[in-house]
Amino acid sequence: MKKDYLLVLIIVVGLSAAALVTRWSDVQPRNTAAQFAEEPLYLNGPAMKRLTLAFNGVAADWYWIRSLQYVGRKIVSFEDSHDGRFNLNDLSGLDLRALPSLLRMSTTLDPQFMEPYYYGAVILPDINPAEAISLLHQGIAANPNQWHLYQHLGYIYWQRRDYEKASEVYAAGARLPGAPLWMTAISARMKAEGGSRGAAREMYRHLGEASNDEAVKDMVAKQIMRLDSLDERDLISKALREYAAANGRCAASWREVASTLHARGLRSDSTGAPLDPLGTPYRLTKNGCEVDLAENSAVPKR
Amino acid sequence: MSARVYSRPMLSRTLPIARNAFLEAVRDRVLYNLVIFALLLIAGALFLGELSAGQEAKIIVDLGLSAILLFGVFIAIFSGVGLVYKEIERRTLYAILSKPVGRGEFLLGKYLGLCLTLFVNVLIMGVGLSLALIFVHRGFDPLVARIWPAILLIYIELMILTAVALLFSSFSSPALSALLTFFVFTIGHFSADLKALAQSMTSAPARWLFAGLYYLFPNLAGYNIITPSAHGVLPDARPVILAIVYGLIYIAVLLAATTLIFRRRNLK
Repeated sequence: MKKDYLLVLIIVVGLSAAALVTRWSDVQPRNTAAQFAEEPLYLNGPAMKRLTLAFNGVAADWYWIRSLQYVGRKIVSFEDSHDGRFNLNDLSGLDLRALPSLLRMSTTLDPQFMEPYYYGAVILPDINPAEAISLLHQGIAANPNQWHLYQHLGYIYWQRRDYEKASEVYAAGARLPGAPLWMTAISARMKAEGGSRGAAREMYRHLGEASNDEAVKDMVAKQIMRLDSLDERDLISKALREYAAANGRCAASWREVASTLHARGLRSDSTGAPLDPLGTPYRLTKNGCEVDLAENSAVPKR
Repeated sequence: MSARVYSRPMLSRTLPIARNAFLEAVRDRVLYNLVIFALLLIAGALFLGELSAGQEAKIIVDLGLSAILLFGVFIAIFSGVGLVYKEIERRTLYAILSKPVGRGEFLLGKYLGLCLTLFVNVLIMGVGLSLALIFVHRGFDPLVARIWPAILLIYIELMILTAVALLFSSFSSPALSALLTFFVFTIGHFSADLKALAQSMTSAPARWLFAGLYYLFPNLAGYNIITPSAHGVLPDARPVILAIVYGLIYIAVLLAATTLIFRRRNLK
């Protein structure tokens, strides 16, 4: 009986000591996790596919979850060090160099797994456009009937201002069974006016409608807001130019052009300053001759 | 008396052995793996939603089917290699063989008993996986119906592996048998590479050697439809039927080889 007590005591004390050592170890300054996060993958996709035997599906899921966690950790680290919220429209601040190989591994292990292709199409163009295009070409080769992949590939070419190529990709996607009619329309629009704001608005709208990802929908909403704001700034600039032409000087305050802006359907605050799509007043620049977004505006600048 | 018993159908002699092997497996707590499987699925169903960005159904199918295969492989290998060995160690084999039961019938009975254990195991895990999908989908998910062809093929693969384990255990120790069976499982999934290797060889003997190995080892890659199942893709009937026919032929060959070796084994 006495021996039992002793054993129980050893177990309890031992476990507590192990927990204490772990806690002490956790608070020691070290950066091994970050160091290994950037390590290139030791095995390529085909080798990994062989080694996983019948378990390639689970391995693909593992790499998919790892990709999400990798980006998530980078965002958290970015927000911690930059004292603010991260903007999905600007990924240049994140060092996501391991992401292409993680996504590539996931899609090689399970070529019919669509989410990594879609995710790569949204995230990778800012980091490694060639890799984004290559990933989507791999997806199209493995899933030739998935028109969504053509939509994403066309979107990447459009972002690169390669409107001819974007038009070709949309046209190819439009020929697939089940592809929506707007694919044909947008193919023609890319060719005719690829760089226009109208084409951009249409691109984003379809991208948002086709995606189930909240982050993509949020990015699309913000980009459409940016386009709305550009339209508004064009109207305001025109009003400011007309005012300068009529008065021989630029406007000293918003109040001087408030009635014109109001007549053109722009919302304004009590000082007469027009409001951006998120309700922040625009600011006058260049001594009242130009308009720009306020510094604290949440509307994306690019 | 003995002649009369031998004249009874073979099944009446093998089925009691099979039943006994199944009950022994249950007594050995082989089915305890179901608890781990259930915990795995519950954890998956609860946490994957947050981790996988809306891919929980696919990941649960991947995870569930892979777990069915993995647990099944462990049971097939570790129970399969002990089927004959334990009977010899405990000397119960002599009592059985002193009755009008042939060595081949004894082996067949043992094999069927373990296949029944695996069947119950796989069936319960398949039902558990279906329930997990219904839970994740908050209602009936079409995937529930589409995972069963994959489960059937996993079961056939496990039947082949059990026969392989039985073959090795008929002439070697359990540890070595387990190791060799695992090698066969691994090589079986590399069969496409073996074929490609054979075709790429310039020397004719090497080409024949690898082509021979390709046909000698079980082609287990054909039983892996876990990934398409996770995407809700139903396999064509023809490859599934071919895989079943191939499996049954291969099992018959393995059992015949096992019986041939076991009949010549000196049990004294």
